[in-house]
Amino acid sequence: MQLDEEKLREALEKPASLGLDLDLQEFRLAAGQKLEYREDFDQASFEVGVDLRRRKELTTFLQVDHQALYKAVQKQFKDDIELMTLEEALGKYRWLEEYVWKLRSPYEDKYSAFNALYGRGGYFLRILEGRRIHLPIQTCFLAYSPEIIQNVHNVIMVEPRAEAYIITGCTAHKKAPKGLHIGVTEIYVKRSARLNYTMIHRWGPSFHVRPRTGILLEDDAELVYNYIILGAVASFQSQPAARLLGENATLSMNNIVYLDGSSDMDLGGEALIKGRNGRVELITNAVVADNARLINRGRIVCEGDDGRGHISCRGLMLSDGAEISAIPCLVSKRMSSELTHEAAIGRVSEDQLFYLMSRGISREEAESLIVRGFLDTASMRLPEHLDRGVKRVIDLAMKGF
Amino acid sequence: MLEIENLHVEVGGKLLLKEVSLEIGEGEIHVLFGPNGSGKTSLAMAIIGHPKYKVIEGKIRFKGVDITEKPTYERVRLGIGMVFQNPPKIYGVRLKDLLNRLAGGRELGDGVLKLIDNLNITEDLLNRYVNAGFSGGEVKRCEIAQALAMNPDLLILDEPDSGVDLENLELVGRELGKHLEGKSALIITHHGYILRYLKPVKAHVMLRGTIICSGNPDKIFERIMKDGYRWCEKCSLMRRS
Repeated sequence: MQLDEEKLREALEKPASLGLDLDLQEFRLAAGQKLEYREDFDQASFEVGVDLRRRKELTTFLQVDHQALYKAVQKQFKDDIELMTLEEALGKYRWLEEYVWKLRSPYEDKYSAFNALYGRGGYFLRILEGRRIHLPIQTCFLAYSPEIIQNVHNVIMVEPRAEAYIITGCTAHKKAPKGLHIGVTEIYVKRSARLNYTMIHRWGPSFHVRPRTGILLEDDAELVYNYIILGAVASFQSQPAARLLGENATLSMNNIVYLDGSSDMDLGGEALIKGRNGRVELITNAVVADNARLINRGRIVCEGDDGRGHISCRGLMLSDGAEISAIPCLVSKRMSSELTHEAAIGRVSEDQLFYLMSRGISREEAESLIVRGFLDTASMRLPEHLDRGVKRVIDLAMKGF
Repeated sequence: MLEIENLHVEVGGKLLLKEVSLEIGEGEIHVLFGPNGSGKTSLAMAIIGHPKYKVIEGKIRFKGVDITEKPTYERVRLGIGMVFQNPPKIYGVRLKDLLNRLAGGRELGDGVLKLIDNLNITEDLLNRYVNAGFSGGEVKRCEIAQALAMNPDLLILDEPDSGVDLENLELVGRELGKHLEGKSALIITHHGYILRYLKPVKAHVMLRGTIICSGNPDKIFERIMKDGYRWCEKCSLMRRS
């Protein structure tokens, strides 16, 4: 796809329609610096669910700043998976241009435009037709240089009848307390393919994050899209947009949020059901502490016959300085559709606390059980080994609970 | 085991229990009858120490220790167990994990596994969040499993037979019967179905927040079945005059 550079430069001035507006001049592109693999990348990645020590056993992609420091497909899957930088892939496959910037517009706002103009990171990951990959594919994005704008553009293609689990960890190294991550991800789940995509983010109180995700589901395609963010983030705004074009397509979008400090987060999710019999659920469970602020938006538009959609937001307030807004939106254009939403925001319930205390559990332990319960991974449909890893990451982040 | 002396309890400024005195000895099962709203559950809540139920006068002693001011979990650690009538749903906490914790944080021991099996608690139920989407029978069976897993010396059962079908009642009744041998218990019941399986040594009748009569459980139950709680009202009035 040929991008209009002039239009992109104009778009650089355009704030996003949601979230805190950032001045991109405050950050640096920090390109050109040559990085070597460092042992301490292991720990940083481990804290977002990516085990780099197993990089020889698992299909792994590691990008630090803008540099792909490590990428390898597990030997046994070398005929099943393709993994390369997006730049390499565009050089290799001309047809890939038809899939880049198709699910998100590069002119949408300054972040997308910046990514389109200066982006050089990200991967192309392709699961070939009919291949079922049951071992997780791990990808990790680490921001390392201070004040960096980290650009990422990923294209994931799960070809017909293929299946895969992807775990993606994104984090800032302690050397880069301040920065901005702009992550564009386009996910294609083709006919009868299934993908479980789990993303874990941990940033820090001075890091800004602007993911731009587009999703396309064909006939009988199934995507479980899990997003976990733990701790503080300076500001975050994202509204992953999915289109269910095929018949019987299913999307389950699950967010687990633990936000503290003075974090400002606008986390959305939207789905357009076009094909017949589409199924969508957008689920958010959030615990918000200190002076953190969360806006959770969910939007389902149903234009296909017999579509079903459900939005759920459950929020737990841990302080009076915190703020949670739940903004669900349902749009039905078909008589046969069924769209529902539910939201509940509150503090830890005294009845629940008392009940657990009546089982001999102290008040503090009972509180921690309930808070941790909010961050339960049950709806994420992770295979056991991946679930263990994700739980471990949550345990690590929630040590105080 | 449990001594309650001249207990007065209020919730939000409203007096719900007055002049309640009750003594349950070691190995004794007592039954507490009373119509809806008479204060039976309030008494259970006061014994277990629900923070909303404020003791304004009187004492509760358990195993000789004054527990009137003790927090709930300390009372429970001393050996009081509770089966709730309407327990809350605990999202995010699986029944299995809670039972594990009650069994001392270890993997479920043989005793608890047997209990789960006897109470027909399926793997599916164990993996669900506590009380979320449970049927009436499931709630009771799981409540009883939790309480018995802690092996309490005194078990308070708040309406273990309400909202339970015959099949579940038998399951629950038999299991309780086995576990309560030699233990103390206070059974709160409105209609007394559970008494087919448990044999109390003493019955009490509660009306308008106070115990108006105590005595032989069979006789009292028979009378209530025959004449209802209206008879108790009359009887208490007659005794007063």
